[in-house]
Amino acid sequence: MAGTDQLSVVFSALADPTRRAILDELAERDATVTELSAPLPMSMPAVSRHLKVLEHAALISRTRSGKWRASHLETAPLREAADWIDRFRRFWDSSLDRLDAHLAAVQAAEHTDTKEP
Amino acid sequence: MHSETPQLTVSRVFDAPRALVFRAFTDPDHLATWWGPSGNSLPRDEIEFDVRPGGFQRWTEVAAAEPDLRVNVYIDLTDVADGDLLEGVMHVSGRLQEGFEPFETRFRIEFHDEPDGRTRLEIRQWLPAHLAGPSNQGWLEAFEKLDATLLHLQAATADIEV
Repeated sequence: MAGTDQLSVVFSALADPTRRAILDELAERDATVTELSAPLPMSMPAVSRHLKVLEHAALISRTRSGKWRASHLETAPLREAADWIDRFRRFWDSSLDRLDAHLAAVQAAEHTDTKEP
Repeated sequence: MHSETPQLTVSRVFDAPRALVFRAFTDPDHLATWWGPSGNSLPRDEIEFDVRPGGFQRWTEVAAAEPDLRVNVYIDLTDVADGDLLEGVMHVSGRLQEGFEPFETRFRIEFHDEPDGRTRLEIRQWLPAHLAGPSNQGWLEAFEKLDATLLHLQAATADIEV
């Protein structure tokens, strides 16, 4: 588990729709900046800047083979980011299950304003 | 009230009157019975509540499986409406489970009447400011997209030979 500083970088990288579109594209296959720029309404340098942000967040890695650098999606940071939210959701799910049981027990014990099913 | 989109929303209906559900969150004896995953305990003498706008809720969580871990929860209550609303900032510190670091998170819990004497709970939670950053617009969308991306990914990694 990375520290929250790393997660902070990941989350802010994910906050941009263009970068999410790029990640979506890379989920299909590795791609060069030329290939990634083609469907996007922006210049290659602009796409390169987004790739730098993604690389800094370790959401992608880039291989150097000859003059072309292909970007590759790295899954670990994405999973960590999703885990952070999931933890809270699981926390509420299990707590509220217990709350449900507790409320039923309290009402059964009180025998007041308890409705028969 | 926070205008920013919460990163986590939970909605649930309970077969109990609103006043009782509210009490389950604001009475120490109630909260100690259900808060946290099964196996967690809240030592009664470490629970202290002063439920009112500007008040607080404070307790300690001990996990039966790992008694060395002690989680300290301190809530600054920014807004309270009896039977209707709890809003505040939860500060979580202490000896946390591995992978957890101390954090603080904003939350808002609304209690709504439902037909037949039931109560609907609406929980909204905001990520810590240091995670959410200055512009958290589009976050929820980001997380929905993230799920889709991860699904794609699992399909894709099956095909890719590196």
